[in-house]
Amino acid sequence: MIPETTATTRRSLIAAWVAAAIVLGALMAVARASESGLDDADPAQQRPGFLHAGAPAPRLTAALPVAGRRTVVFFVRPKGLDEVCRALSGPQLAERADVAVVVSGPGRCDGVTTVNDPAARLGRSYGLRRPRAGGPPVGYAVIDRRGLIRYRTLDPTVADNLGEVDTIVRAVP
Amino acid sequence: MSGARPATIRPSLRLCLWCAAAVVVEVALYLSYRGHDARFHWFTHFYVGSSTAVVVMAAVTARTGRPVRYPLVWPLLGHLFAMAPDLAFAGGVAHKRWMDVFLGHIASHFVPGRNLTWYAVFLVALALYLVAVDRSRQP
Repeated sequence: MIPETTATTRRSLIAAWVAAAIVLGALMAVARASESGLDDADPAQQRPGFLHAGAPAPRLTAALPVAGRRTVVFFVRPKGLDEVCRALSGPQLAERADVAVVVSGPGRCDGVTTVNDPAARLGRSYGLRRPRAGGPPVGYAVIDRRGLIRYRTLDPTVADNLGEVDTIVRAVP
Repeated sequence: MSGARPATIRPSLRLCLWCAAAVVVEVALYLSYRGHDARFHWFTHFYVGSSTAVVVMAAVTARTGRPVRYPLVWPLLGHLFAMAPDLAFAGGVAHKRWMDVFLGHIASHFVPGRNLTWYAVFLVALALYLVAVDRSRQP
């Protein structure tokens, strides 16, 4: 026969395990539910923070990318263009790399090379992944001085994460 | 009359302070992963670091015959070790493959099943520890 105190302790231990399972499971469900249609269907692929070996970057314009210089290419939708342009108006990123914005529709970004790409062909050719809800990708790619794409990710909140972009750019050779 | 009660209350209060401190730090770490998509990374490193710590706790409990002290602090330390490259990233250092020495900091994100797998691993590890605690309390 199991002593009463032992049975009580065992019940407490089981309760602790069940509570951990429920609380953590609920937190994961809430975190998953807060993802948007612009996020990557596989969260492991979004903002991974490390560089790839690199694939040759397709040309954006006749002038970009420039051999011997790093390039950051932002992929945005017309709705988010103003926010990204405002974020890019600071000098920091432009000091480290050439910056270009590819818009999947109409619109311009003053002072920044802007490419209008309504069919979102450039996003595909740069290997950006498809957002959960489909449509053109929102994120960025970083090209090294040899013209290789070393980093690419979906990032629907990239305008708030320029410090992170700067970290990646500094890591790119 | 006044001597016995504080002697029994103080250890439990001290224990709860450690519990509260560990929980507060974990909540702060969770909030520090700015952006909803970054929370995925918190879960991965929490599960990997905590699972490792809990397995060590189970081994220590089985060996000593006593539950470990400060049981919420061990998983926190495991978590901090697993997420160390993210602290470096916040300081401007991008991730590199060698950072997998921190409990698979990069590779752990890409296991099949992603965080659901680590969630299951954590629950199994926790069950192991709780069984070890239960056995240590058998007369």
